[in-house]
Parts: sequence; C-alpha cells; structure tokens
Amino acid sequence: MADGTAHPASWDRAEIQALFDSTTGWLDRRVLSDEGLYQLELERIFARSWNFMCHESQLKAPGDYVVSYIGEDQLIVVRDEEGEVHALLNTCRHRGNALCRAEQGHAKSFVCSYHGWNYGLDGRLIGVPGLSTFYHGDLDKSRLGLAKARIESHLGFYFATLAPDAPSLHDFLGVTGRTGLAMVCANGEVEVVEGVQKNVIDCNWKIAVDNLFDWYHVPYSHASANTAGFFDIARIQFPKSQMVMLGEYGHAIGGPVIPREVQDQIDGLSDAQRGEMSRAQPEGSPRIRPKSATDLMGPEGVRSQGHPNIFPNLWVTISGTQMCLRLPRGPSHTELWWFTLVPKAAPPQAKREIVRRMNHVFGPAGLLEQDDGENWSQSTRSARGVASRGLGQALSMGLGRDEVRVGAGGEHYVEGLIGEHGQRWLYRAWTEWMSARDWAELEATRSAPPTGLI
Amino acid sequence: MHTSELARTRAWADTPPVERAVVQYEVEQFLYAEAALLDARRYRDWLALMAEDVEYWMPVRRTVTNADIEREFTKPGEVAYFDDDWAYLEMRVKKLEAGSAWSEDPPSRSRHFVSNVRILDTQGDEITVEACFHVYRTRLERDVDQWVGRRVDVVRRGGGGFLLVKRHLFLDQTVIQSTNMSTIF
Repeated sequence: MADGTAHPASWDRAEIQALFDSTTGWLDRRVLSDEGLYQLELERIFARSWNFMCHESQLKAPGDYVVSYIGEDQLIVVRDEEGEVHALLNTCRHRGNALCRAEQGHAKSFVCSYHGWNYGLDGRLIGVPGLSTFYHGDLDKSRLGLAKARIESHLGFYFATLAPDAPSLHDFLGVTGRTGLAMVCANGEVEVVEGVQKNVIDCNWKIAVDNLFDWYHVPYSHASANTAGFFDIARIQFPKSQMVMLGEYGHAIGGPVIPREVQDQIDGLSDAQRGEMSRAQPEGSPRIRPKSATDLMGPEGVRSQGHPNIFPNLWVTISGTQMCLRLPRGPSHTELWWFTLVPKAAPPQAKREIVRRMNHVFGPAGLLEQDDGENWSQSTRSARGVASRGLGQALSMGLGRDEVRVGAGGEHYVEGLIGEHGQRWLYRAWTEWMSARDWAELEATRSAPPTGLI
Repeated sequence: MHTSELARTRAWADTPPVERAVVQYEVEQFLYAEAALLDARRYRDWLALMAEDVEYWMPVRRTVTNADIEREFTKPGEVAYFDDDWAYLEMRVKKLEAGSAWSEDPPSRSRHFVSNVRILDTQGDEITVEACFHVYRTRLERDVDQWVGRRVDVVRRGGGGFLLVKRHLFLDQTVIQSTNMSTIF
C-alpha cells in the first residue's frame, strides 16, 4: 500500500529516528505505549511487510481455508479448485461484513451472511441476490471481487503483503530470513499439527518480539522450569558461545552456536554417525542436524541453535518445532498464535513425542511460557507512566564489542557472549520502517546488515 | 468421543435412585475437596489425589462452522493446552514449589467452582462424571481471568476415598483471554 498514512503530522522522520539510539542502545519507551505510533506501525510495518499466513499443510485440499491477519486486517487464506492459494481480505465489498467467521474450515464459496453476496474461492464476486431486480442489472461484479493481498511461499510457508511494490518474498527474507525458515525444515519436510494455541497478553507486540533473541533472561525468568526438571538450562544456554545473525529488513537469529571447529568435525560425519552422536548426548541437548541441513541453512546458519525472527513478528523456535506469531492488538495487547510442526516422514510415535513435549514448552500453559507474559505486561504498563517511560530501555549489552563477520553465503553474524545485538538490530530496523513513507523510501534509506565492530 | 460422553449409560440410569444419590454425594464431596485444595494452594496434597495413570488433558478449541463442527476440539495426540500424565503434573507442582515461579509470585487468588455434576457411568471401581467448571483467578492489583467449560472426569474408588484417573477439560474460550494458564484446573 503506497503509504496511506493517516497520521502524517503526528510523528515526523526526525522524531521517529530519535526514538532509538543505536550507538547507545537507548530506546524511548513511548514505542511501547503510544497510540499514534501504533497506528503508524499498522500502516508502515504490517501493511507493508510480508506477513506469515500459514503452512501449506494447513491447506491440503481445494476449499480448505484458514483466517489470518496482516496487522488488524483479517484475511482468508484459501486453496481454490485449481490448487492456487489466495489471500482475500475478509470483508464483503457491499457493506463490509466478514465473510468468514470461523478460524479455519472448508468452503465451496464464501457467502456473506448479511445480504447473501457470494464469492468464489479465488475472490471473484459470483452471485448477488436481486441483481436484475433491485440493481436493474446495473452492478459490475467484475469490479467488486474481494480485495486480495499478494501471496507467495518459501519452503511451504505462505506469506502475504498488502504492498504491491514490496520486493519478492525471497528477497524480503534475504539470507537470514531464509535460514530461519530452513531451520524448521532442517530434519525434512514438515507439517503443522492440528491446533493453534492462541492467547492474549497485555503487552506491546515488540516486547514479545525482542524477548526471543534474549538468552540473558532464560536462567532467571525460567528458573522454576529448571528446578522442576522440565529442562536443563546448562545444556541449552551456552552463554559464552552465542551467535547473532543480522539480516535485511530487521530479520535476525540469536542464540547458542555450534563452534566452527566442532561443526568442522560434524561435517565429516555421515547422517548415521550424527544420529548416534545425538543419541549419546544427554536428554534435552540440541539435535545434530543432518548433512542436507547445510544446503538449506548455509554453512554458518547450520551452526545456529538460536531463535530466528522473521521481521516483524514471526518467531521460529530453536528446534524448529514451534512457530509463534505476535499479532498486534493495540499498543498494549498482543495475540500469540503458537503453531506446532513435526517432520512429515517421522513415525507416528516420534511425532506424538514431539507434540507432547511441545505442548509443555510454549503456549499459555507451557512450563516455559507461563513465566514470560507478566514480565512483558508489566514492562508495557510502566511505559504508560510519565516518569517511568522517560527512563528509556537500556539495550547496551555487548555494544561495541563484537566484530561482524561475513560468511561465504553473505551471512552477517557476530559470535561471542550473550548480548543485545538482535534487539538493537530490531529497533534500528523499526525506526527505518517507521520513518519511510513508502517502499521506495525504505529501500533508499534502510541500513544494510552491518559490518565491522558493532 | 465428546458426544458419547454426554449420555448416562443404561446400567447407571437403571440403578435405584437411592444408590445413585449416595454415589453422587460421595463423588461431589470428593470433587469439592479437590477444588478446595487448589484454592488453598495445597498443590502437593492435591497431587496425592491423582492416580499414577492419570490423564489430564485440555484440547485446543476452535471457532468452526456447523459444517466443520467435528473439528471444534483437537483430538488426543494433537496440540493441547494440557497434555499431562502424573510426571508432568508433578512437574507443575514442583514448579509452583520452586520459589522462582514468577507467574505465581505473588500467588494468584483462585476459586474453583464445580457444578452440574452428573454421573454418567460406573464400571467396577471407576465412575465417569461430567461437570461444568468455572475457575476464577485474580492477580496483582486488577488482573482478572475466568475460565469456564465442561469437563469429564473419571474417579477411582480405593483406600477409603477416590483418586482422579482422567480429567478432560473442554474450555469455552477459543482465544484464551489470559496472559497464561499457570493455574491448575
């Protein structure tokens, strides 16, 4: 959407740029509470970027649909009779009523419950009751099809954008975004398990996003899951062996990394040997990926045991078995949608074990996830207080201490201690998306992934 | 499976009313006592009421059309909010006891209501009972959460009391309107 900004005067470029200082890591807390900024985010970030919709396994047959969101715009994502997937704005062209009120299902067409206008699976308006009588035949159905978003897929993951001038999904993802999605498929083709866990947290969506790179909070926030024996923090955190990959448009992957010299040894092993090595490790250790994963994730990406975020709001979890959308619902509310994924070819018992484990990790009753929400809602709440928000967020960890390396595949990454490079990259990209009036300006002004000391 | 659980079995329906009333009273008293332990935050004592083979499950509920109604709830083995056996329930209790379960410190104030209790069947020592639940939770200054739904429990008689063998919780919300579900239902 070429701008369409409804709040041109509320925040100008200089004011937006001043909200985050990447040289100190200082973030103005108004980004977590301001209604005007939130409206601008819907227009300049969500309506403009590629947003995750669903995985192809959720749309197996013609007529299968799911309802998803771009910001607060609701879309029907549906496979038509020819097998093509469409992203249709879920609003009747007549009076705006939602055509689809279920969150998923199967349909032959979409009939509006208000006056009975009927749309095909490709969004074409095919039926208008009383067309010849009440409209005297004077209604051009061809101009009143459902509005469509562009939709493209990568590795079976469908994304949609409302911006006709956005780059292709492939280019938008860049090397970091593609590596992040590949993490899900590192052990073979995947399918989404029935059931998306959904809940609402009273927090700004960015607080939920910037937490996913945050390996600093794990031992403290999640201490009780460790004590309860659900997981062993020492086996997953590796605080001194971390990698953050910084990608185009704000994508990043942050977390533990397999050191280069260890990966070199792994590279010499067959898949059978890797399997043996994985089984020999203590329960809960990261699985060693098969040979084919290097082709998918790249020679540096394959070492990552971290969390990717596809900007703005899609989190892929470390093992690639869960993905989470953080859907904005006003400056102080976020809806979390948790998807669970399993390798398609895994035996039923292995799938069951993955699903049972994931049912206990993330999701509102998850043994890890339970303790995150209140940290985020309380941080959001304090951003509403005049004095509290004046303090700013201090995202300075590791600032100026890590040298960006550039891999053979064009990966930009740092390795070292736990730090806040991912968070700083997120907010830097955020200011660039927010201050650009259209895609052309974003392309002209955005930062390339950094080099040198950061 | 959900609809079949709605009906009383013939054998139970044909049991003389006075006998049914006694069992009803015993089962209700057990369910109320169990709820009281949770409200009193006596999680370890509550765990003692769980059978070793307990199955504690809350599927995901979805907004679907009548035509797709068989997909309203996820099925066993699919994604679920609770998918616990005894070991997982013990982990939840240990977590609450850890001293670092921040989502429950300060502790929530919860009230577990159990109503519309209907015994559906008895098989040997086991009694299948359907009920409505309403869990009301407040936290911090003004957080309020409410979870309402239907549940199907199986309780097993033994040692002078009952143990819970199965609890299937069918929540009425599809998007959970809460920061978390650190509560036991």
